[in-house]
Amino acid sequence: MTVVIDGGLAEGEVNAIGISFGNSNSSIAYTTGEGKAEVIANEEGDRQIPSFLSYIEGEEYHGTQAKSQLVRNSNNTVAYFRDYLGQDLDSIDPTPCHASAHPQKHESTVAFSIQDTEPETQNVVTVSEITTRHIRRLASSASDFLGKKVNAAVISVPTNFSEAQREALTKASKAAGVDVLQMISEPTAAVLAYDARPEAEVKDKMIVVADLGGTRSDIAVIASRGGMYSILSTSHDYETAGAQLDQILVDHFAKEFMKKHKTDPRQNAKSLAKLKLEAEATKKALSLGGNASLSVESLADGVDFASTINRTRYELLAGKMFGAFTRLIEDAVKKADLDVLDIDEVILSGGTSHTPRISTNLQRLFPPSTRILSPSTLPTAIDPSSLSARGAAIQASLIQEFEKEDIEQSTHPMVTVTPHLRNAIGVLVVSEDVKKGLFTALVERETAVPCRRAGVFAVPREGGNVIIKVCEGIRDIKITKKEKAKTNGKADSDSDSDDDQEEEDEEVKEKVWKVGTVLAEAAIRDVKKGGKVEVTVNVGVDLGVQITAREVGGKGGVRGNLDKPRSTENGSA
Amino acid sequence: MAAVQVSLPLPVLPQGWSEEKDFKPIGQLSSATQRNIEPVGPHFLAHARRKRHHRTFSEDER
Ligand SMILES: Nc1ncnc2c1ncn2[C@@H]1O[C@H](COP(=O)(O)OP(=O)(O)OP(=O)(O)O)[C@@H](O)[C@H]1O
Ligand SMILES: [Mg+2]
Repeated sequence: MTVVIDGGLAEGEVNAIGISFGNSNSSIAYTTGEGKAEVIANEEGDRQIPSFLSYIEGEEYHGTQAKSQLVRNSNNTVAYFRDYLGQDLDSIDPTPCHASAHPQKHESTVAFSIQDTEPETQNVVTVSEITTRHIRRLASSASDFLGKKVNAAVISVPTNFSEAQREALTKASKAAGVDVLQMISEPTAAVLAYDARPEAEVKDKMIVVADLGGTRSDIAVIASRGGMYSILSTSHDYETAGAQLDQILVDHFAKEFMKKHKTDPRQNAKSLAKLKLEAEATKKALSLGGNASLSVESLADGVDFASTINRTRYELLAGKMFGAFTRLIEDAVKKADLDVLDIDEVILSGGTSHTPRISTNLQRLFPPSTRILSPSTLPTAIDPSSLSARGAAIQASLIQEFEKEDIEQSTHPMVTVTPHLRNAIGVLVVSEDVKKGLFTALVERETAVPCRRAGVFAVPREGGNVIIKVCEGIRDIKITKKEKAKTNGKADSDSDSDDDQEEEDEEVKEKVWKVGTVLAEAAIRDVKKGGKVEVTVNVGVDLGVQITAREVGGKGGVRGNLDKPRSTENGSA
Repeated sequence: MAAVQVSLPLPVLPQGWSEEKDFKPIGQLSSATQRNIEPVGPHFLAHARRKRHHRTFSEDER
């Protein structure tokens, strides 16, 4: 089956890919010679490869083929196992495996009892061994595609993957012949996938990554500063994800079936499995089109079932669930002590992020200035299902030449734990009076030090002597109540039920800067008419500040230093 | 990172403002929060390199 036999790797050569390993799906990606990340399709042509293994008479099936075995061979089909790695049975939620091989206790780990060798022989296979087989299949697909043996990977994992889980994954991959160079967090991988695009500019921005998957949704708020990423908050939800959306369609179609025939297809395991698989396909089709059909041969009592549903109907049925996704994201922003106005970008990642309504709802939660990166809100968005794998592939290409020791040292807390600025640093424009001047941020808060930022400022029309007043800026949310203009005529029973608050005064929120500590003043003299002044702020590791200012194109300039603060507090790392 | 361009003008220097070398230090930064930077991406790797070799930005650019 495998085309590449011995790999064609030179002694000591590392050939690394990126792997995203989800409970529902996995993806493999590599970077092209030009440094572009591409997702690899497996032999079946799938880029989202179901994280499923199934066994029939000793033969192993993987991916989509294995997933379809949920109908006839569910007992020998292992699914949704990623989160079980490195855990014991008491600490896992077995719910996702309700309709496939059940997780059971095995020593201090989780295992499945399946007939993976021959019929009638029940074997206990640990989740580690299952993972090894899964990774082996993924690596083999990648090796076939690349024509060269893959022997290493960067794997993306959730932010709450424990040390024990990481260790178990490292071991399981190693057993599959894949050396884990590094594990990176899924939301960071998604940000990196966007930042690695050639057209991307390095910019300071506050990002929310909403990774909406099949069995879980994970939200992270990330400060992106000069191309470096610091996670400010994370949240995880196991009840608001793709499986719940599937269930809504399962229930809908089951009820429709019951109207015509007496049987409830959900009562029979096989019928339910068929209906679930088809409902998921219908759900995906509804992300693309306004209508989708569903057809199941012999759904129950030997009766075939066919139906259609339009997107409007689906969005009505799933309205509450969609609202839950919005709330999840809103809560994550609050958890980071931020306001929606602080968010520059929302990156939608994971398969469920294809759902148009989920992203258009976010357009209403966030101000128009927030970019919502999803297929239905931005034509240039990257396929959300591929983001983690792409990010992992980019990281793999960056570090695959490194010595193991270098990678370990670079990822050590000695290097990664760094002071982050509590407040922004900027310069007052228009007036030097702290009450009247407008604060313009040069360095945003939550920037890791050391850092350096510069700004080029205009001067008064006639030029002359100007003052540069460097201050800390504290972001404030100003709320003004505007009395709502009376709506004409037939108010109440109007269309949109969401807009009940139209009756009340409208609140307008805006982001404003309050001037905090004044840090320094500097003068630049005799700036010529139409001239510009460049101000550079350099913050050292010890929080000492160096400020330089000069007329653009002029000579000389001013330079000064500020001492480090007398004491440094330790925040939460 | 590219410099931000600000079109609102800097204030006029108040009459009588005078400091040695035209620079007046006034305050210090507020304390900072210790956080983890994600060990990912080209900019982080540059940061790690500087930190491990105790180099500054400008030395690193050479
Ligand atoms: N086009 C689509 N429209 C709507 N939902 C989709 C689409 N494509 C995939 N999905 C859903 O996305 C979910 C899988 O997401 P993803 O591949 O990100 O999973 P994962 O990260 O492996 O999941 P898990 O949360 O279980 O770990 C499934 O519920 C699937 O039905
Ligand atoms: Mg996922």
